Amino acid sequence: MSAKKERERRREERQQRESEKAEDARRQRLIKLGSAAAFLAIVAVAVAVVISQSQTSGGDTNLEHVAEVETGLANIPQHRLTLGRPTAKVTLVEFGDLQCPICRDFAVKVLPELIENKIRTGEARLEFRNFPILGPESVTAAPAAVAAGEQGRGWNFIELFYRNQGIENTGYVTEEFMTSIAKGAKVADVPRWNHEREGAPAEAEVKRTKHEAERLGFGGTPSFAVEGPGTKGLEPLGTLGSLGEFEEAIEGAA
Amino acid sequence: MSKPSEGTVRAVSTFVAAFGIGVATYIAIAESGGGAPACLAGGGGCETVAESQYSDLAGINVAVIGIVGYVLLLVTALLRGDGARMGGFALSLAGFGFSVYLTYLELFVIEAVCQWCVISAILMTVLFGLNAFRMLRYAGRAP
Repeated sequence: MSAKKERERRREERQQRESEKAEDARRQRLIKLGSAAAFLAIVAVAVAVVISQSQTSGGDTNLEHVAEVETGLANIPQHRLTLGRPTAKVTLVEFGDLQCPICRDFAVKVLPELIENKIRTGEARLEFRNFPILGPESVTAAPAAVAAGEQGRGWNFIELFYRNQGIENTGYVTEEFMTSIAKGAKVADVPRWNHEREGAPAEAEVKRTKHEAERLGFGGTPSFAVEGPGTKGLEPLGTLGSLGEFEEAIEGAA
Repeated sequence: MSKPSEGTVRAVSTFVAAFGIGVATYIAIAESGGGAPACLAGGGGCETVAESQYSDLAGINVAVIGIVGYVLLLVTALLRGDGARMGGFALSLAGFGFSVYLTYLELFVIEAVCQWCVISAILMTVLFGLNAFRMLRYAGRAP
């Protein structure tokens, strides 16, 4: 092999080594960039999750929507957990769980208009029956609504609870939280409410309505039933969604 | 079996992202009037999901965020080079992660499943797979 050919061979080898080195450096740089991109993506998702959770945090004693609840229910008669005139022909029953976020959405998005259109007008009454199925904190909350109902402030309590609801079973249903709801709902005699919510009658009432919901075949909340001259007793409606569906059910039962 | 060329991966990603835009647009339009997408198998799951407090993120409908995500993924599928490979990977990873979170919410918090959201989650998973493959296999190579 001539010296010239040997030099050429060495040069080619060197070039190849350099090219491999460059390729390696490029890949290293891309792996770093890729890791940075992945990190950014993970951070973006974490931020989205935090925002999503924070807008539903609730569950503290700085109550929100106190005035809104007060105005929404103003001048509508309440007896225990029934809202509306006793003379109304139709009774719409909500089997609800105070911890349930879908019940809250119903209370916020559908109920205000339903109250104005059908309850305030005297066409129907709305009765809340506890169906605590989401865990221990639901069981704690339910008799508190019954006890507030004994002082004519049941619906204020329910509506205010829904609007200040926290994330299920995260320990937010404390004595302090419930007392703040009771005060916000203007339960006049808080010591009496406190005593009654822990008493046997309220507990028995919750048990009764829970069994009733199960007997009607309900498995989730909120579930609805209706009773009126046009129905054969209390007829289960199941889960309804829109205002129109509720109005139709009430009109059908009248 | 030979591995698919980058062109094929980009073509499939383009198609999947375009389909995703369609699905997210349908959900956004259906929800914009306060309604919900029609459930393919009935049951009212979509209505429950659409009415839940989780259907908005910082005041923006989640479906609208989905449209933006799919449009950006479509753009990265159409473009060549490392920037597009990297961007597609990061975006699809974020989209995939967010879909996992939304699916968790559906199953364990809202306790209702909307088929349209499931379709979107599947599309996002496929896009993540395609973009990860594109990144790992072709990053650093000539476009």
